[in-house]
Amino acid sequence: MAPVPSIRLDGITKHYGPVVACDDVELVLWPGRIHGILGENGAGKSTLMKILTGLVHPDGGSISLRGRQVGIHDPQTAADFGIAMVHQHYSLVEQLTVWENVVLGERSRLSRHSARRRVAEIGERYGLDVDPDAKVTHLTAGQRQRVEIIKCLRREPSIILFDEPTSVLTPAESEQLFAVLRLVVIEEGRAVALVSHKLDEILHATDEVTIMRGGRVVGRMPTSEATPAGLAQAMVGRPVSLRSEAAALGLVDAVALEGEPAVDAPARPVVLSVRDAVVSGADGLRLLDGLNLDVHAGEVLGVAGVEGNGQRALADVLSSLLALDEGTIEVGGLTVPIGRAGAMAAAGVGVIPEDRHDSGCVLDLSVAENLALSDLGAVSRLGILDRRSMVERARQLMVAFDIQARSPEAPMRSLSGGNQQRVVLARELSARPKVLVAAQPTRGLDVGAIEYMGHRLRQAAADGVGVLLLSTELEEVLALADRICVIHRGRIIGEMSRAEATAERLGLLLGGVAA
Amino acid sequence: MKLENRAPEVTPSSADSAVDQPLARRFLPDGAAVKSGLTSAALYAICIAVALGLCALLVRVTGGDAGAVFSALLDGSFRSPGAWGLTVTTAVPLLAVASGTILCTRAGFTNIGQEGQLILGAAAFAYVATRLDAPGPILLTASLAAGVAMGMLWVGIAALMRFTRQVPEVISTLLLVFIAYQISNYALTERWLLLTDQPGSGTTNSGTPLPAGARLPTFTAFGNQVTIGVFLVLALTMAIAFLIARTTIGFRLRMLGMNARTARRAGVAPARYGGAAMLVSGATAGLAGGLWLSGGAAGDRFTAGISSNLGWQGLLVALLARDRALVAVPMALIFAALRTGSGFLAATGVERRIADVVQAMLVFALLTPPAIRSLQRRRAPKEASA
Repeated sequence: MAPVPSIRLDGITKHYGPVVACDDVELVLWPGRIHGILGENGAGKSTLMKILTGLVHPDGGSISLRGRQVGIHDPQTAADFGIAMVHQHYSLVEQLTVWENVVLGERSRLSRHSARRRVAEIGERYGLDVDPDAKVTHLTAGQRQRVEIIKCLRREPSIILFDEPTSVLTPAESEQLFAVLRLVVIEEGRAVALVSHKLDEILHATDEVTIMRGGRVVGRMPTSEATPAGLAQAMVGRPVSLRSEAAALGLVDAVALEGEPAVDAPARPVVLSVRDAVVSGADGLRLLDGLNLDVHAGEVLGVAGVEGNGQRALADVLSSLLALDEGTIEVGGLTVPIGRAGAMAAAGVGVIPEDRHDSGCVLDLSVAENLALSDLGAVSRLGILDRRSMVERARQLMVAFDIQARSPEAPMRSLSGGNQQRVVLARELSARPKVLVAAQPTRGLDVGAIEYMGHRLRQAAADGVGVLLLSTELEEVLALADRICVIHRGRIIGEMSRAEATAERLGLLLGGVAA
Repeated sequence: MKLENRAPEVTPSSADSAVDQPLARRFLPDGAAVKSGLTSAALYAICIAVALGLCALLVRVTGGDAGAVFSALLDGSFRSPGAWGLTVTTAVPLLAVASGTILCTRAGFTNIGQEGQLILGAAAFAYVATRLDAPGPILLTASLAAGVAMGMLWVGIAALMRFTRQVPEVISTLLLVFIAYQISNYALTERWLLLTDQPGSGTTNSGTPLPAGARLPTFTAFGNQVTIGVFLVLALTMAIAFLIARTTIGFRLRMLGMNARTARRAGVAPARYGGAAMLVSGATAGLAGGLWLSGGAAGDRFTAGISSNLGWQGLLVALLARDRALVAVPMALIFAALRTGSGFLAATGVERRIADVVQAMLVFALLTPPAIRSLQRRRAPKEASA
């Protein structure tokens, strides 16, 4: 008997106005195999997943499920067809317990007893160890993902879609995830699609791979025949140097091989010194728990860590958005009044925030206004704004930082993510900071923009700025930092120079094991 | 933890073409802009027509003649002798309330207690005007200043609670209105406060008549008497429009209203800037109380019903102007016209309150097109960003 694919997409096309999100896409998932879908941001992966889960209706093309043509009209139909998805951003209710989250959305009668047993059973079968009675708030990112997977598996789906599953996991947790995937697939004959922009992950965990670019499928091959260089070229659409762009492509090994002469940091003056920083969250948990770090002029200090270990609180403190409960911060030897609006910026701390829409820019203002907003004195006279000088200044910065916008007067909202990020970068660097804090600076950007950001951060360090890079991407830290420390549960638990750092050693530290 | 995946990045080309088209129209006067302008105008026309049609229907149903009603409204507000002078005088406090409200809303804070601030402003004006023995201009200035100060004090309570204890100012400013009612009513029962000590003058709960020196001068144009407060309030509105659009302080206020966290990082302290914005809106409401009382259209003394919803209506003016100070000028005139026009309705045999219905319908009619627009705008980028 010839095997029948679990699901087959033919000629799937989706337009949003003039934008083609998916153009004649073909995708086949087989039972018992892990299929990687590789592509940059904006390549059409998300749209394809939304079509599969019934959130978006394709304009054209056909979907057949185990040989039978079907239409996936809404998420409920998708669930009835046995299609389940583990989202990149978990859809868990933090105030509820694990088992409550797992049964959320069930239509049948609730039974606390059987639900708890079911969670434990699934956990045991797949090695997804999690306490059914724990509150989701108290779980780590890795544990939350397990809950998400249990939630997905308890409906016995035949097709499972994983969207960027390792973005919040430690290397060890990622390994564990892939082991679970193997088990699910080979023993039980389910089909798995693994959506990712990281080459390593695709090469490591999949059986076959489909590469997407600009909404089209540009390559498809068994993973055994794929090479990093070939995949990277297909994904980006031009030959790429695995060395210089390795971080952007998610290749830990390639980065780790590359050894740049590190800056002799200790010889330079300390520009940012955080001492015994303590911040408590609303629920009494400590977001920062006695954190200490020093950034020297002219170096990039990379703070690696799994998401949710205090990076956000640290960035907020350095943005004057959050006050410390205890501890001090000195910039250039002077103590900064923490938490007073604008004090950090005035002391010379530039910040590229993790979420630029949250605290990096104002979407309803123009590009020129966004470029000027922290330094209004330079574009005003006697308190009255000088539009002309504001626009003039914006024009210069747009050229210097290669910002693509229709005009300086264009609304910030109309820019692409990469260009918005450049506006933030241009504003922060043009203020001539002593310290530049970059929090997840490349999240959601495409390879070209990631490369540009890395180049600019190195350049800033070369110009004598102390750069503090907070990142969950190990590759990014390894590629950019002169000195690396690891943040875990609100404190720094290890520090090493770039030369001493290896992916293995960092991996252990990320999990909280001092090495 | 976010429940929803953040909208993924779109490539520059797709973003430029799809996401910002509605916004692009503001900047590029091309075919699309003209078309969009026409659609907007048509939308407004349809909505206003529907509102007026419904009003006419209501008048008909209650046994009146729609034509006569609208004619009476026009007579009362503009056509009869002296009417438009009265309308302009009535627009003065409405515009004063609206201009401060707009500044405050732009900074991201919602003061909806102008009614109370206005009443107490008027009360403070009356108190100083009837107690202070000073020559005209000084008396007038001091009384107006007292009104302003009282409005600021009243909103200041809400601001203080907002910035020290995070009490939502929407609720506190609203509730303070009801306390203001009580205070002004009490003041009218006590001789040492506002109750008149001239026996037999007016009703029991009425204030002392204002001295001539505490009345705003008027000028006469084409047989209409208009208070000079109109110049004061127009200047105030233009100053606020200028402040918002062209100054660094205005920029910071807008930034605070649009993205408080970015603003804070850039050095805009919410308590300082937001608190100032709230105080300004209280000040203009208090000023409105003083201008109303001294403007000539409100009688010669402070009474319990002095405001008759001027504060609420000023808030509506700001709402309809959609936070653009200069647009508030015609809006204030329309509302004032409905107020003065409704005085002439009695002759048509139709309930005077029909004017309130017309007013409410117009509010809906004028707010519907922007609501439709913003829905369209919100839908467009969502579609394009997947």
